[in-house]
Order: sequence, then C-alpha cells, then structure tokens
Amino acid sequence: MDTGSGKLLSMRGIVKLFPGVRALDGIDLDVTAGEVHCLLGQNGAGKSTLIKVLSGAHQPDGGEIAWRGEPVRLPDPQAAMRLGIATIYQELDLVDGLSVAENIFLGHEHAHLGFSRRTEANRAAAALLKRLGHPEIRPTTDVGGLPAAGKQIVSMARALSHDVRLIIMDEPSAVLDQEEVQRLFRVIRDLTEEEVAVVYISHRLDEIRQIGTRVTVLKDGRTVATGLPVADTPTSEIIRLMTGRAIEYVFPPRGETTYAEPLLEVENLSRDGEFSGVSFQVRPGEVVGLAGLVGSGRSEILETIYGARAPGTGTVKVGGKRVRPGGVGAAVAAGIGLCPEERKSQALFLGEPVSRNIIAASLGRFARGGFVRLGAERRSAENLVRELDIRPSDVDREARTLSGGNQQKVVLARWLLRGCKVLLLDEPTRGVDIGARSEIYALIHRLAAGGLAVVVVSSEIEEVIGLSTRVLVISDGAVVLDGPAESIDEHRVLDLVLEGEVA
Amino acid sequence: MSWSVRPARKLLTALGILAAAGTLVAGCTSNSEPQPAADAPVNAGSSNDTPGEKVVIGFSGPQADHGWLGAINSTAQAEAKKYPDIDLRVAEGTNDASLQISQIETFINDHVDAIVLLPIDGAALTEVARKAMNAGIPVVNVDREFSSDFASRVTILGDNYGMGISAGTYACGLVRSKNLGNPVIAEIAGIDSLPLTQDRSRGFADALRACGQTVDNRVAAQFTVESGEAAASNLLQAAPRIDIIWNHDDDQGVGVKAAFDNANRHEFAFIGGAGSKNAMRWIQEGSMEATVLYPPTQAADGIRLARLLVQNKGLSDLVQVEVPRRIVLNAPVVTKSNVDKYLPLGFES
Amino acid sequence: MTTHETTAKPGSPPAPKPASRVTTVLSGPIGRNLGLVVALALLCVIGIVTAGDRFGSIENLTTILRLASVIGVVSVGMTFVIIGGGIDLSVGAIVALSSVWATTLATQKLATDFHWIVMVFTAILVGAGCGLVNGILIAYGRITAFIATLAMLAAARGLAEIISQKKTQIVRERGFVDFFGGDVAGIPVLVIIFALVAVTGWIVLNRTTFGRRTIAVGGNAEAARLAGMKVKRHTALLYVLLGVACGIAAVMLMARTTAGTSTHGSLYELDAIAAVVIGGTLLSGGRGTIVGTVFGVLIFTTLTNVFTLNNLDTSTQAVAKGAIIVVAVLIQRRFATRERT
Repeated sequence: MDTGSGKLLSMRGIVKLFPGVRALDGIDLDVTAGEVHCLLGQNGAGKSTLIKVLSGAHQPDGGEIAWRGEPVRLPDPQAAMRLGIATIYQELDLVDGLSVAENIFLGHEHAHLGFSRRTEANRAAAALLKRLGHPEIRPTTDVGGLPAAGKQIVSMARALSHDVRLIIMDEPSAVLDQEEVQRLFRVIRDLTEEEVAVVYISHRLDEIRQIGTRVTVLKDGRTVATGLPVADTPTSEIIRLMTGRAIEYVFPPRGETTYAEPLLEVENLSRDGEFSGVSFQVRPGEVVGLAGLVGSGRSEILETIYGARAPGTGTVKVGGKRVRPGGVGAAVAAGIGLCPEERKSQALFLGEPVSRNIIAASLGRFARGGFVRLGAERRSAENLVRELDIRPSDVDREARTLSGGNQQKVVLARWLLRGCKVLLLDEPTRGVDIGARSEIYALIHRLAAGGLAVVVVSSEIEEVIGLSTRVLVISDGAVVLDGPAESIDEHRVLDLVLEGEVA
Repeated sequence: MSWSVRPARKLLTALGILAAAGTLVAGCTSNSEPQPAADAPVNAGSSNDTPGEKVVIGFSGPQADHGWLGAINSTAQAEAKKYPDIDLRVAEGTNDASLQISQIETFINDHVDAIVLLPIDGAALTEVARKAMNAGIPVVNVDREFSSDFASRVTILGDNYGMGISAGTYACGLVRSKNLGNPVIAEIAGIDSLPLTQDRSRGFADALRACGQTVDNRVAAQFTVESGEAAASNLLQAAPRIDIIWNHDDDQGVGVKAAFDNANRHEFAFIGGAGSKNAMRWIQEGSMEATVLYPPTQAADGIRLARLLVQNKGLSDLVQVEVPRRIVLNAPVVTKSNVDKYLPLGFES
Repeated sequence: MTTHETTAKPGSPPAPKPASRVTTVLSGPIGRNLGLVVALALLCVIGIVTAGDRFGSIENLTTILRLASVIGVVSVGMTFVIIGGGIDLSVGAIVALSSVWATTLATQKLATDFHWIVMVFTAILVGAGCGLVNGILIAYGRITAFIATLAMLAAARGLAEIISQKKTQIVRERGFVDFFGGDVAGIPVLVIIFALVAVTGWIVLNRTTFGRRTIAVGGNAEAARLAGMKVKRHTALLYVLLGVACGIAAVMLMARTTAGTSTHGSLYELDAIAAVVIGGTLLSGGRGTIVGTVFGVLIFTTLTNVFTLNNLDTSTQAVAKGAIIVVAVLIQRRFATRERT
C-alpha cells in the first residue's frame, strides 16, 4: 500500500484504553496526499476515538503516528492544527452567537493590538466561502441562523482558514440533502486536486463509491482491512467486512421453540416519523431479534415498548394485560426490563458501587419502612455477582472501573433481581470485549431458558441471527420480514436491510 | 420508601389550609400600634401654627426598607396632616436614583410650592434639586447632604458623628460615676462599609479619648436582628467581662439583646442607638441603660420648615426672621429619667 | 430468578488491582473528609494559641455550636438538593418568610390561646409550602432550578416584607423562647436540634431508599428514569425537604433572636452552598456527604469566632473565608483523586 513520496500520515498499532474497555486495539492507517480515504465501521467500532486521537483530542496509550515520514506527538488539538490536520466534527463546534467570519477565524482572529479587523476578516471569509462554492453565505450573518448545511460549510471554511493538509470529516453528509452532498463532493474534489487529503467517515456506501479513493474498515477497535482501493472492491465485500466477525463466536444452541401463551404482545405500534405498524409476539423462552441499520427505528421500538417514549398508536401487553403507555414506571411494574444502548449514560450510576447498581430497580423490595436492609442488599448483590460471574467479584467497587462486558452483566443482574418477565436488550455487546461476548450470549440464553421473553436489537446481523429464535427485519420503520432464525441467512437480511441503501 | 404519594397529597391539603389562613393573617396583621393621638402642633407662643395660605409640598424619600426609614415617611405624613393648609404630595419610595430624579422633575412641572427631599444619594440628586431652586421652588434637603449649597434652601441633618460623641460622652460619665478602674468598653457597629457607621465609630472613639478610654472590643453586624445576635454572641465570648457596650442600631439591637439574654450576661451598661420604641421600652424596664437618638423626625421637621418658607415665616424662637439655612439635629441620650419625653419620637423597628 | 446454576468461566477480562491499604483508610469517612478535619483542627489550634481559655471554654464551644446550628440545619437540607442534582437559592428568603409568618400577631395570638407549638408548625408548613412550589416548578414545570429558586428568593422575601410591614416582630410567647432557648444537661436545645437533623440526614441519605434515590437521580437522572424510578416526584420532594429544613431553621432563629423579620436568613443561600461544597459534595450532583457539610458549617462558624476573639475586623474575615473555601476544596480534591487511582 506504500505509495512512496506522497505518504502524508501513517498510524501504526494505535491503542486507546478507557476504563474497562480497549476502544482502539492496534489500528493501522495510511493516508496519502490528495486521496479521499474512507473510514468505515459500525457504531462503536472505534472511528470516533480514532479521529480524536488524530486530531489531538485524545492521547493514545500505544502505537506510533508519523507525519510526512517523521514521528510526531499530538498532545493537543493545537498541535494537530499546526501540522495542518483539521477536523470537522459531527456535532459542529461552532458558536451560534458569533458571525460566520468570526467563527471561521475563531482562535486566530485578524486583529491588531487586540482590536479585531472586521473588514479584513470578512473579506477573507468571503473568499473562503467562494472557494467552497457557497458565495451566498454572508460573512456577517450569525451562525445560529444558518441551516445545518450552511454550518457544515462554515466548519469547512474554518478548516481551510488554516494551512490545511488533511481534513477529517465525521459523517458530513448526515445533515445534508442530495444536492448539498453533491456540492460537498465537488468541494472535496477541488481540495484533493490541491493535494489535500481527506479522511471521510460515512455509513452510506454509495457515497463511498462516488468519492472514495481507498477504504479502511474498523471493527471492535481493530483494523479488519486497510487501504483497499474502492474501485476494485465490491460493495458486498465491504459490507461483509463491516458486519462480519473478526473471530468466530460460539453461539449457544438455540432453545426449543415453545408454544406457550405469548408473554409480550406488541400490536400495531407506531410513532410519527420513526416507525409504524409494528406487531410481534414473544413467548417465554424465546429470543426475538430485531435487525436493521442505524436509524431504521429499531432502538425507538424498544424504547417505546419500555414506555420511555410515548407511542402514537398501538398497544403493548405483558402476560395478556395491557401496559399503560408512555410511562417507564408502568412498564417496569408490568415486568419489563431494558438494557439500553448507551450503557454508561442510560443505565449505570458510574460512581456508585456495583451492589447499588444492581439493587437500583428493586429498592422497594430491599427496604423495610424506608430503610435499606444493607445485609440483604449485600447478600443478593453478592449472589448475583457470583451467579453471573461478574469480575472482579467485589460488590463495593465503583461501576466505572468495570469492563464493558461486566458492566453489561451488572445491568442484566439488575433486571434479574427485579424478577422481570420481558427483557429488552439494545446492542447487548456494544463496547464489550470480544472475549466476553460469548459469556453474554450464554447468559442471554440461560435467561430465556428460565422462562423470560427476550428481545434483542443489534447492528451485527450475525449476532441477531445467531442469538435469536426468531428474527424481525426492520427497514425504514417497518417490519419487512418476520421468521424463524434457522430459515434466514445473513445475505437475505442484508439484502432487505440495504434495499434502497445501496445504489 | 416512607414518603410515598400520600404524604405529598396530605401536604397539598395542609398547604391549602395554610394559604387560606394566610389570607386571614395578612388581613389582620397590623403590627403598628395605634399612633398617639395627633395632638395639635405645639409651638413656642407664636402665630406660626395658625393656618395660612395653602402650601403644596412635594415629598420624596428612599424606599422604607427598615424601621428608621419607615418612621421617616410616616412621621412626615402625620405631621402634614396636622396642618390644614398643607397639601402633601408623596412620591412612591424608591431605591433608584434616576427614578427619584424624575419624581422631582414631575414636582417642578406641577409647580409645587416647596420640595422636601431625602435623596437616595445626595450627589446624584444635586443637579435636579438645583433645577427646582432655579425654578423658584425652595428645596428642603433632609439627612443626606447635596454636594452643592445652591441646591437647597434649608438643609436639615441628623448627626452620625454626634451620635458617637453622645454615646462616648455618656460612657465616660458612667466610668466616672461608677468609678470603674480599668473598664472594658465594647462596640457593636452596623454595616462597616457605610460612611455613617465610620462616622459613628469615629465620634465614639473621639469622645472616649477625652476621658482616657479606648474601645477594647469591636464587632460589626449588618443592621439586621440575626447579625446582631451572632455578632453579640461572639463578642461576649471574646470578652469574659464587659463594663459598657454601645450598639449602633436599635434595629439590630433586638438580636443583640437576645444574645445577652441567651448568655445571661448583664454585668455591663447597654447603650443603644437610633431610638426605637423597643429600646425605649427596655429603658423603662431597666434592661437597657440608654440609647442615643438619631431622630426619625427630620423629614417631619422638613415639612414644617417648608411650610414656613412658603408662608414667609421664621422660626419663632429665633430673633432671625427667616428660616436658617442649615440645621443639625442634636443626638440626645435617652435614659430612664427622660424616656417618657422621647417615647413619642420612638419608632417601631 | 436467582436459581440458575453458576457457570463460572475463569479468566477473561483482567481483574483490576485490589485497593491498597492506604486507599482503604483514605476512603473511609475520616479520609474522605481529611481536608476538612485538618482545616478545623488548624482553626482550633489558632484559636487556642491566640485566645487561650476564651476559645477553649465550654461557653465558647456552645456559642460556636449554637451559632452553627441554624445555618447547619439549612445546609443539611441543601446537601440533599445538591446531591440530587439541584440547587436552591431561595433558602434565606424562605427562612425569612417562615419566621415572619410564624410571628404575626395572628399566629402569636393563636399560640397564646392554644400552645406555642402553633408557631413551630406554621414555620415548618410555610417552609414546606415554598419548597413544594420550588419543586413543582422545577420537576414538573421544567424551569431550571437556578431560575425557579431565584424567583422564589425575590417573591418570598417580598411577601415577608409585606406581611411584616418591614417591622421586627418580637416573639412574645415566653414558653417558645424558654423552650428553644434553654438547654438539656448543659447542651443548648438549638444544638440538639441541629444534631438530630444532621443524624437524621445522615441516616436518610445512607440508609434509606430515599437517600439511594437521591444519589441515583443526581448521579444519572436518565439511568434512574430507565430503572423505573419516579425522578420528577423525587426531585420535587427534595425541595420540600429543604423547605422543611428552612422552616425548622426559622424556628431556631426566632428562638435565638426572639424575633421574626424579613431580614432573617440573609445570604443563607451562599453560606449553605459554600458549606456543602467545601464539605465535598459535588455541585453537579450524585455524590456528597452530610458529615462533610457539618464540618463545612463548623469551619465557617469557628472562623468568625476566632476572628472576633482576636478583635479583627470583618473585611479580614471575609478574605480568610474566601481563602478557606479554595484551600479546602483543593485539599479535598487531592484526596478524592488519590482515592480513585
């Protein structure tokens, strides 16, 4: 892959550790001047962490970065900026109350003796905006009043206001319409002609076909393929690399299909603009998987069943009884438990000990007259820690210090203790080390075998199929397939999921 | 959880009842006791009090946010009522100097006959007062002095430095009469950053120096009851034996006295300041030695003087036929022997 | 659901190192408040060196405790609100309003006819009512705590001024003053009340479901909601609790000063927040201690006392207070970070 003299950036074996998880586990990336290098990967694969390392926002715990052949360190964003690396983040970091020109030159204002030279700045800003093909954005308007696309352009102008050699774009097309995307691509092509390199992150494979030179695919913090020429790599291969497995997992054998009365019944559930007409049933012992891309509505369906979002129409029944819609309390009382997608921000009390995290949904049961029975609390937590093999087996340890897999077990333990009947799992292995995944899978099966109805959402199609007894494929907010997992293979699901996504 | 839905609901009910009670309470909560009957004005044998030509007087003062200022307002209005020939126009009390300026401008436009003004800030109101004078309206400046002599016809002031002198001189008298060898003298000041507090403390120290004494312990409070109590409690610990305490302000004095009672410390002579009704009652009971007046009657005097000015009369006890330019009120010491005389001047703090 | 067989598979993720002996000691209650203990001890040493017996005497000790008790009760309540992720700027105004409402002629007349306990209930109910209004505005009206309580600050003090007509209302009920101003076995009743409130606060925070929920709601409101807790109702209750504390403080203040006025409780919001924060409670919520808060209050009260004993002026005292806040927080953070690594 070495293209000799043109090599701009070279990253080797980059490692980044967060408490309990290896976010990056040996990433390699080479970027050549004048190319558009696409970075692909599922949510949580490590893309965001990687670009933060590259932009100086995070310090890597291992590995080497070379810039034009020289080893470099990027202790802060200013250092990256000085080398000529600019980043356009997904959450645009603009100041709404300042003008376009002021935003563009934020941090390196045109100033004389502390007074800003507005005319000069406005003129320079206008020139940059023209170069980007957007002369209609006036340098003096407030950024707050611009549409998302306009803000994107301002962010790019800010990047170009430095002497930039490499621009990192984190999902720039997410907020743009078709025509704006095309204009963005023209700008990117102009830039690459000036030998500026672009690292381009997107979920949309058709865009990568249009603009990309080479592709690097990340998965679970590792590089599964790097520097593949876009022109010679079929889309199906790219999808296989993204959704496939870096190693083979052992899925436990599926349980017997049961014919018991359904425990969870979802009927005609809809929410405006998110999903519509979703109906399915889950019997005790069953694991039902929802497969679909990010934004297909799968997480929203789970949260609506759980009452965290109010449904537009439809009903949810547990054990034949209707659950009052739109309230988490009612859902929990009916016996539904949720392990949410964002474990740290939605499920855990990171500064609290493991025992308190486990007890959180069952406080009432561990209290007498409002007083927590500390002994009982401790015993139950210790039992569950032993039973689910949560390591380290210390119930007093703060939840933040646990690895992703063990944190997930803590959340599962919470619902086990509560004694729920229906368990909703959103991305149960997100951020979980590869080694620990099989354990989570086995645990989910054990819970189902114990008589729970389980619903699993995952971006990894193989995971959904391997784990579930039945699979629902969601596309554009609607159930497009509902069938037993044995009869469905990965390609079929991919075809359904990607319908309309891949040109 | 012991606090479930029900207590919250009970609370609501209780609150409803309370709110109802509140309306009731607010309705009949008048803490002001009936004012002493509006006596006919007393004057030293002249015809000054006989009704003359109609006088329109504009009155403006700061917002009455504590007892003394409240008394300033109420005595001024009560005084005006005694004279059938006075038409008093009262501007809403404020703490905003620019608003007070516009109030004075309104008086000028209305062509009132005289203005009695207790400025929020003497300097800030000087210009508009001068404008009134130039328009031929005499201005009576009360308590806080203008920065120019041309801005007022009469200036009537209380005497903060004099208060300190009076308190100090009285303390010296006690030292002599009780034959105290090496007396411990303590001072509880008001808000320390105010010029008036500094003036009072300076006067106190100056008077004490005259009899060879100094202030041994000094604390400062905030003119509030609570701060008075806290400052006094600590002071009592700082000085295990005290002979004389001067407390600048009878408003905070309520707290100061509570601290004395709590600690059961009464070995010293307790001297107050300003002259509230509470203080005078304590003097009658014998639980306070004395208090130094800072009369809240200045504005009332101002009203009378304004009337005399417009009606072209002088102060009858003076040979001079005109009202003087400057009057500084005395800061007399109220003691058990003369408290009955001063009680009507006392204000509810 | 806890009858599954254990299927332990040893050794996948690396087990974090066990805590060392030093960190175990430091993470105990003494270690966590070590900065505060040191600061208070230092103040006491200064007090004894500069003022000798006048500082060390029993009377002075009870004076300090008595002065600490009113703001102490408010600070214990404030600790709950701050741990729960909120803030209350209206505590001083609520104290003022409660004290005024409980000392109106009407209330006092009722107290004379019935019993002085009427005044106590009035103060507490007024406090709880103000807290409830705060809580409803914040939890259900979705007004930022800062804004809602800022509004209450203005409104409650204004109402107190209207009711009292800006006059000081003397407590004429001897029974009331004698009870709360008295002592039991040499310990002032006010100090006993403070101790009871602090101990109750500690138990509620550390031993009850209410305390657990407070920490959960303040630490991660979204996770608390998704774990099925009633976050809004709990938030509202926290402000009611603080309102009750303000009512109790008003009663204590009425006993201390024998008066109710609209000037009571001035700047309590800042004093209470300062005490809570130097006590090691996170201003962002989710973590905090009652013990720390009590230390915080004692430090400030002792500071004022030592300064007065040495006849130093209020300006120097203010400078020292500022310095203590910064130093205590720095020491506190040093131990906190050491504890974590």
